[in-house]
Amino acid sequence: MNAPTALIADDEPLLRERLRAHLARLWPELEVVAEARNGREAIEFFETHLPQVAFLDVHMPGLNGIDAARSIARRAEVVFVTAHDHYAVQAFEHGAIDYVVKPFDEVRLADSVARLKTRLASPQTTAVPGIEAVLDQLAAELKARGGGGRPKYLQWIRASVASSVRLIPVEQIAFLRSDEKYTLVVWEGGEALIRRPIRELVDELDPDTFAQIHRSVIVNLRQVAQVDRGFNDTAEVKLKGRREVLPVSRSFLHVFRQM
Amino acid sequence: MNSASATTPTHRPAWLAFLGVVTWKGVALIATLTLLAAGVLNPIFAVPFGVLLGRLMFVAAMLVLAFGAAGTWHPARVPRWLAQVLAVVIAAPIATMVAYLPSVDGRITDVLGHESRIMGFVFITMTAVVIAPLVAFGALYRERDAQARSAQLAFELERSTLEKEALDARLKLLQAQIQPHFLFNTLANVQALVESGSPHAAPVLKSLIAYLRAAMPRLQAGSSTLANEIAMVRAYLELMRMRMPDRLEVSIDVADDIAAREFLPMSVLTLVENAVRHGIDPSEGGGRIEVRARHQPDGAIRLVVADTGAGMSESAVPGTGLANLESRLRGFFGAAARLELHEAKPHGLSAEIVFPAVRGASA
Repeated sequence: MNAPTALIADDEPLLRERLRAHLARLWPELEVVAEARNGREAIEFFETHLPQVAFLDVHMPGLNGIDAARSIARRAEVVFVTAHDHYAVQAFEHGAIDYVVKPFDEVRLADSVARLKTRLASPQTTAVPGIEAVLDQLAAELKARGGGGRPKYLQWIRASVASSVRLIPVEQIAFLRSDEKYTLVVWEGGEALIRRPIRELVDELDPDTFAQIHRSVIVNLRQVAQVDRGFNDTAEVKLKGRREVLPVSRSFLHVFRQM
Repeated sequence: MNSASATTPTHRPAWLAFLGVVTWKGVALIATLTLLAAGVLNPIFAVPFGVLLGRLMFVAAMLVLAFGAAGTWHPARVPRWLAQVLAVVIAAPIATMVAYLPSVDGRITDVLGHESRIMGFVFITMTAVVIAPLVAFGALYRERDAQARSAQLAFELERSTLEKEALDARLKLLQAQIQPHFLFNTLANVQALVESGSPHAAPVLKSLIAYLRAAMPRLQAGSSTLANEIAMVRAYLELMRMRMPDRLEVSIDVADDIAAREFLPMSVLTLVENAVRHGIDPSEGGGRIEVRARHQPDGAIRLVVADTGAGMSESAVPGTGLANLESRLRGFFGAAARLELHEAKPHGLSAEIVFPAVRGASA
């Protein structure tokens, strides 16, 4: 039988080197055929070398370790490496997925090596049932928490101010008002025009904070000082520390009904 | 739009708002005034006191209704106060006329044909026309007074909200924790250096200690100098350079006269950590972090933490440190201080603190 082969993927060079040194001591026959610096390289090197074992750091730039594992799927024994990720560790234990923690503990690493040797000896039992579902769920969770994916609502609005592009924190926005082509963003630090229409923004802003009160106006409810009822089921909104008076049209008056 | 249909169930009918005009205090006031008027008018009237009082009560009730109705359904172009006063004045003779109807079996001509009834009608109408607008004005004045008081309350509420926000910002800072992920990864690197007998182990450990000392929650969030802040930032960036030597470049350029200034603790570090987290860390190729400070022509100072990393997406959730940095800056330097986030070209983020050269002065 040929020597077993492995791939190590970690974005931190000292830690790749360390894992390699530990493995050399614990499992001298194992041949580390490639070292990857991110998930994309891990997949690339895996396809080139087709190693039997892949040590994948969970947290890597670009594609992370979970993404790489989903691509490698059942073609190799995967051991995840993580510094501290409570959620991931729970998921690994729940899904009977092998993992080691950083900083490395040689006793734990020896356990993993022993399990890997057993599984490589009997390839029929390789598959962990339901592993794909666990990985899919974990990948989605990590994306949502790391900010790499798309959390629910806008936190910033990108707008050109003078010669620069600013990121305006949404909580500082007083209101947004659109004309035919542009939307005016008015915030604590000034005003800016953006190209997005109100109807698009209203879905992207947190409805707990922002409400459409007119066909062309969205207001930050936390900056509303006063709402004056007018005739014919309309109203006017005054904002804290600002002069502007915003119209509330009949069909949006319900926004203020419960206040 | 679903808004129209959503309106109906929560809609408070106008007649309810209209009834809201009637309060026990108001009823008591009107009853007292009516009683007084009846007392004054009684000597000139032939009818018993009870009948006179009844007529006056009826007139008063009608006028209150007219006042309330005009307030709820006044025409768009007429100001509400004018509509209400006019309604009361117009309603007075009509209500008086109606009050007389029962005693003449509904024949209006009988009222007009009887001299003392005409006199009575005129007296009651006159009394109503004089007293009612006064009461109406009084009611309107009280309403304005109530509005002014609610504005005052709103102002006080806002002030206490601001104070609470400032306190929250400080509490959050105290609770700010060292990311376990950062700590364990860094320790893993230190362990690697120690185990391999690297000469870098000792200086890296020193940087880690300096960083931990700075990042530990501190009970007195006093002030620090910019030089101290920069020292912390150096320690932190040293650690990150050890962890990602191929992905991170660093340059720090802060003139001595600026570095000697008092500065808000943890502020520059917050920006640098953000640059690593949202800029360098997610980027395969990494990038460069530059920290620099300059005097501006307008006398203010601008401290810039710029990275050439991935940039921050519009939906990136800011860490607590970044989220409350601006309010902390204002609390420390005064209202003129601010935090600006600019997008760098071709990619990356530039976080800039602008603060007055003299604390509390306007920048």
